[in-house]
Amino acid sequence: MKEIFYDAATRVASQPIIDWKASGRKVVGYSCSYVPAEIFHAVGLLPVRLRGIETRSMEIGDAYFGPYICSFPKCILQLAGEGKFSFLDGAIITPGCDSMRRLDDCWRKAGEDYEGIVPGYFYYFDVPHKTAPHGMNWFIQEIKNLISSVEDHFGVSITKDKLQESIRVYNRARRLLKQIEDLRSSRDVPISGTDAFAVTVAGTVMPREEYTMRLGELIEGLNKHPGPNQRGKKRLMVIGSISDDIELIKLIEDSTQAVVVAENLCFGVRYEGNEISEDGDPIEALARGYLGESTCPRMFGKYKARLRALKEIIERANVEGVVMQNIRFCDLHGSENGLFERDLEAIGMPCLKLEREYGPLVETGRVKMRLDAFLERMS
Amino acid sequence: MRPEIQEYNFDWMLGALMDVGSKVADGTEKEVDRMNRYVPYFAGMTKSILGEGRPGSTFLKILSKYFRNLLTAHDEGRKIAVTTFCFSPSICYALDVIPVTLEVITALAGMMWRRGAFDYLDYGCELGFTETSCSAQRGALGAYLAGLGEEIDFIVCDTPGVCDTNANAYAFAAAYLDRPLYQLNYPQILGEERSNTYHLEDYREMVRFMEKHSGNTLSEDRLREVLEEIDKQDALIADLEDMLRLVPTPVPTVYNLFNYGGRFIFSGWPDYTRLLEDMVESARDKAKAGLSGLKSGKEKVRAFLCYIDHYALNLDFWDWLDAHGIAHMGGILSRNFRDNGCYIGGLEGSTYSVDTTNMDTMLDSIAQMNARMPMVRSIRGPYDRPNMWLEESLALAKVFQVDCMIYNGTPGCRNTWGMIKPFAREMEKHGYPTHIMYCDAFDGRVESWEATAARLEEFFKVRGLL
Repeated sequence: MKEIFYDAATRVASQPIIDWKASGRKVVGYSCSYVPAEIFHAVGLLPVRLRGIETRSMEIGDAYFGPYICSFPKCILQLAGEGKFSFLDGAIITPGCDSMRRLDDCWRKAGEDYEGIVPGYFYYFDVPHKTAPHGMNWFIQEIKNLISSVEDHFGVSITKDKLQESIRVYNRARRLLKQIEDLRSSRDVPISGTDAFAVTVAGTVMPREEYTMRLGELIEGLNKHPGPNQRGKKRLMVIGSISDDIELIKLIEDSTQAVVVAENLCFGVRYEGNEISEDGDPIEALARGYLGESTCPRMFGKYKARLRALKEIIERANVEGVVMQNIRFCDLHGSENGLFERDLEAIGMPCLKLEREYGPLVETGRVKMRLDAFLERMS
Repeated sequence: MRPEIQEYNFDWMLGALMDVGSKVADGTEKEVDRMNRYVPYFAGMTKSILGEGRPGSTFLKILSKYFRNLLTAHDEGRKIAVTTFCFSPSICYALDVIPVTLEVITALAGMMWRRGAFDYLDYGCELGFTETSCSAQRGALGAYLAGLGEEIDFIVCDTPGVCDTNANAYAFAAAYLDRPLYQLNYPQILGEERSNTYHLEDYREMVRFMEKHSGNTLSEDRLREVLEEIDKQDALIADLEDMLRLVPTPVPTVYNLFNYGGRFIFSGWPDYTRLLEDMVESARDKAKAGLSGLKSGKEKVRAFLCYIDHYALNLDFWDWLDAHGIAHMGGILSRNFRDNGCYIGGLEGSTYSVDTTNMDTMLDSIAQMNARMPMVRSIRGPYDRPNMWLEESLALAKVFQVDCMIYNGTPGCRNTWGMIKPFAREMEKHGYPTHIMYCDAFDGRVESWEATAARLEEFFKVRGLL
């Protein structure tokens, strides 16, 4: 069962994507969790989150991006340049942050040098940084523009009924993911953090119906046959920069002294945790669901709300320590981690700030040493 | 932070030096010489600035006045707002609020003190603010985070969606100091009705925020006064830009700094108008005589700084350009995109106008002007989209007949470092030799000015420009 999730979570061209393409259907990649995947699902396009795993070198990423840029978009560009995203029929780039939005410029430029690496449909989706009425209106219009553009390019019709149905399909998995989060919060923790994270990341690339079905089976299995009892281990939470790297969670849990019981990560349940309203206008519902919950530090000035959300998770999951990781040059998460550290340590919550590079865990030794020291401090 | 640094008020230290500089401006040779003994590292800067005659003297005086205003703000019942160079301080003056423009203050510390803003740059990192963040804000911000500057009342800026690193600095400050924050957010496009409407709605909201936290109501008469002053200032800037087009240009290299330095702290104030008048008058005299603005009198190269300048000790960067016969054709900081500018041909949709008919037209004018401030205008969207960095730079390069492009920034600038390589390739393709500087404009420890100068020299020689 878990193999299906691990395959999707650890391979760029995973089996579900290969199967999807083999059946003659199309795939659209997107760079940020603010892109409503329901839009693509509604017309039979497979939305997949763009990822940088399996990167082994960076010569293409470094050729177009400057040196002081987060390694996540560089890895995506590297894979694009190597043709690893040849399965994409479209790509959506957003101004998630400065490094990510320049993926648009650099990918298109690289396309002048590497033939065929820019998907036939390449769209820049402008996500505002505020939820005030004018920000929300802007986002609603952007969603409408995106819908028109997808309709024009792919020759499809995205009706409100189809959108509403897709929202319902997506919500089903969201509710199941919430059940997994509840299981992780329990005393026995019947699923390891590594497995849970693999399951969550898989959801960003698997066809939704299949994902939902597998998720249901997994939960049923966990209820009947829980995994090894994790009692006695330190209960950790992982937060910070974008991460879809299962190995990072595995590294933490390999210590045998710790179990990751929660994350607050862009690829984690941070967004999947929020159900989209199934009533009313679906475009407005998507806008409010995706933009309205300000959980990413790109939504400036909402620190207190994010701290509150973090404390709620800490309390719910009985978290005993927080690992705050940030990719080098990710100032948004890096700085916010500094504030979280101040405010969480003040209430007695041990915190570990960890700067790292995205991509292969080349710093495993250093990270492991710091994690061990952190666990020692906690004990 | 070193204990001795914590003994002094940051703003007072800068203000006191500026006060000295402004007094030197009117001193006798003997008085100047005596004064310089007490401010050895500042003497180089005052010498360079005062070497420009009356505009230099006026520039030092307005800087001195700026710090005086800041240091006496609370005593006089005014609120202090921290802001950014991408934000026009004119609205602060319209609301009787004193703006603290972090980047200007960090630059001044870099140019005035041998140790630059190093201690303050590092202090932010001690608190958890990333060392990879932009030094332009981090320098001065360190002082305010340490409680060594004047007490901040609230924060206003406008870079979310344009420069997240910049926006993040203000968000961090607001959270750390627990101060109210309003950030204007700019869409990724410019020149469409939709984005103009967004600018206005967001700006109106911000005015309400500023009224609440300043305790003052925006008066129609006061706003008109400020905008009428801006109207005069824009006309003078347009005159200067016109003269910049002449070959050789009669505009000295350092006028670029005077222009935007004044605008970022005193836009809408008569003092800045006087500075511009002095600059126009001086440049016009040279233009009439067909003289170059360079001290050597011989213009060899016309360089366009497509981003920002370098704020090494003294005015080393500008002096270096001048000494090498390189005319400074301005940069992203000195352009204002008023609809009467000489370089707006082809960029019409992205300019602003000033209409003082009533409150609504004035609010629209100031909102649209603010949306054309440096960075928030040119690098809000993909570099090669209409009205963005590439199109703008090519248009400016043509109008000012530049020979080359120089990019300088800070390692903290995710936005431009994310696109500078594609941008530079395009520039080269269009025939402009382009040099990317890898130093930090505000932190000489990243690369010393001497090393930076050597690389500049190499570029100009290797590309056959000198």
